[in-house]
Amino acid sequence: MTTKTITPAAAPAAAPAPGRGNRKQARRNTLIGWTFILPNFLGFLAFTLIPVLAAFALSFMEWTSFSAPKWVGLANFQRMLASDSFWVALRNTVVYAIGHVPLTMALALLLAMLLNRKLKGIGFFRVAIFFPYITSLVAVAVVWNMLFSPDNGPINQFLHAIGIANAPGWTSSSDWALPAVIITSVWRDMGYYMVLYLAGLQAIPSELYEAAEVDGASAWQRFWNVTIPSLRPTTFFVVVMLTVSSFKVFDLIVVMTNGGPGRSTTVLSQLIYQEGIGEGKFGYSSAISLVLFLIVLTVTVLQFKIQQRRER
Amino acid sequence: MKRRTFTAMALAVTAGLGLSGCAGAAGTAPQAQDGKTTLTVSVWNYAGTPEFKALFDGYEASHPNVHIEPVDILADDYPQKVTTMLAGGDTTDVLTMKNVIDYARYANNGQLQEINNVVDAVGKDKLATLDAFNINGKYYAAPYRQDFWLLYYNKDLFKAAGIDDPKDLTWDKYAEIAKKLSGTAPDGKKVYGTYQHIWRSVVEAISAAQNGKDQNSGDYSYFKDQYTMALDLQKSGASLDYATAKSQKTSYRTMFESGQAAMMPMGTWYIAGLLQAKKDGKANVNWGLAPMPQKDSNGKTTTFGSPTAFAVNKNATHSDEARKFIEWAAGEEGAKAISKVGVVPALQDDAVTDAYFKLDGMPTDTLSKKAFAPDSTALEMPVSDKSAATDKILNQEHDLIMVGEKSVADGIAEMGKRVKSEVLGQ
Repeated sequence: MTTKTITPAAAPAAAPAPGRGNRKQARRNTLIGWTFILPNFLGFLAFTLIPVLAAFALSFMEWTSFSAPKWVGLANFQRMLASDSFWVALRNTVVYAIGHVPLTMALALLLAMLLNRKLKGIGFFRVAIFFPYITSLVAVAVVWNMLFSPDNGPINQFLHAIGIANAPGWTSSSDWALPAVIITSVWRDMGYYMVLYLAGLQAIPSELYEAAEVDGASAWQRFWNVTIPSLRPTTFFVVVMLTVSSFKVFDLIVVMTNGGPGRSTTVLSQLIYQEGIGEGKFGYSSAISLVLFLIVLTVTVLQFKIQQRRER
Repeated sequence: MKRRTFTAMALAVTAGLGLSGCAGAAGTAPQAQDGKTTLTVSVWNYAGTPEFKALFDGYEASHPNVHIEPVDILADDYPQKVTTMLAGGDTTDVLTMKNVIDYARYANNGQLQEINNVVDAVGKDKLATLDAFNINGKYYAAPYRQDFWLLYYNKDLFKAAGIDDPKDLTWDKYAEIAKKLSGTAPDGKKVYGTYQHIWRSVVEAISAAQNGKDQNSGDYSYFKDQYTMALDLQKSGASLDYATAKSQKTSYRTMFESGQAAMMPMGTWYIAGLLQAKKDGKANVNWGLAPMPQKDSNGKTTTFGSPTAFAVNKNATHSDEARKFIEWAAGEEGAKAISKVGVVPALQDDAVTDAYFKLDGMPTDTLSKKAFAPDSTALEMPVSDKSAATDKILNQEHDLIMVGEKSVADGIAEMGKRVKSEVLGQ
């Protein structure tokens, strides 16, 4: 009811004309706008912005959560750079990202192209591929753990059947645990990114393909010169999202391997959790999270720069 | 006009949201109901840990002016949650100390009240492992429960293999009969001679206890014999392979209750679970208890364990009532109450042990009774601010040794190196 009265009033604000009355009007509209986002912003302020800023400050302090924080300068960072566990976790996180991002992207695009056609029952297949994404993560991790079981898991039984004698130990081997986690995460995430690519594919005007075909372009050339360039905005979005989520990976690894065997799958966010929540070293764990934040920020800024250069 | 109304409404809604948020955060202080004092006690997994209900019901019955309200916390998150509560100035009266490492952390940070008079009232010499709670002559918690490790065994499988009950075992003898007991049961099921669960304590804490060593020392050469034996057991097929147990998340209960393992070193907490499973008809295993196998056969039993204790929160609303409750729970009455649900009390005397073995379904042979009275019980992990960090490193390296990625010697060397550099700062 009240929305009806507000719509016409808000419209002139889009094109403000000079004059005192209008300025007053504009200010009132701004105020109304602020009122709209205020409830959400308050939540953001209390539960995200303030904790994030506090974490920044804490990374230069020592704090056990019981007593008042103590300023220690760069000591946390020095300790981190000297710690073997930090470098192991950083290496694992980077390897995970390098495996997870391109694989998920390639498979998502492949699936999107396969499923971007008018076929009877295509909806079923699209849903089937999307399903892992909405399945409970704990269930996914437990089932894949069973599949990867070194002795009687179906995957190794299959490998034995096709004549591979020395099948990998997967989650029980420190060389194969990270690949096992990557495979699981790719399987889980590809459905979601496939949907993004499907939307991107459907937005490409069919005239482009028709024109290319008239010019005698082969299927491969059409893919390379029409599909890929037209999908660039989607690809950019997918890469950024995937990279950020790869660096933040936590839940899947905790349930599947809990960082083991040894430290072979411990990632940065898990180290932050162990040091902070587990051992109560909140200053030190804030320092690690600050470094993780800087890494993600740098990578994302780089991606934006590359994208801008391409668009020029 | 109408627009102004709308703005006012939006502001009102916003303010309302903010206010209700505040009201929710403020929480509710325990109120006295019909003249009763409400005592709050932090517990984990209230429904699945019957000792709490046994204690609370018992206390309320003998103290009609007190009502106990459990503050139920998910077992896995218990230490983190309690830390967060304390940091936020929570006023829960009694805090249950799940292990001594957390106890040391809270006590050393001044979060607990000193309760020397409570400990004196119960009797210092009566409480097992009270020493673990002694911080410079002061006690900040009183143990009411004391779990320790012993050997569970399947009497039927021993009989079928023609092997005597596991009396006065050394580790060598244990490994030897584990191999003999392995094989196939009459119904075609695979039987393992023993099941060593994946926890590092199965190998490490028992080595430390029987060699009299400190696990925070950075020297772990004394782990060697136990690791060599554990690896030999799984290699010979006498115990379930570690990698399989870990990736399948094998339940030790299933291994023992389904008769897949003839022996199993495990803590006394499992007795309550086993009694319950038999009562509910979910397990039909004919079981007995034996002392933990020993390094030498000198007739003395050394094992390890960990106590559970009650402490009074620094910010408790009802400090005096909290002390009274702890005195009761750690004393004779509390011990009797938890014995009835199959939990081992910290207060040890003949009357309590007798009552314990009268429980329906408990084995009553002399070996089981002997298993219940070890000569010495070391702490699973020392009371120290270093224990949490050491525990993490030892766990990671344990993993690598047990899956065969590192040799015993390399693994032990790596443990020492990492603990020295990451924990002890050497």
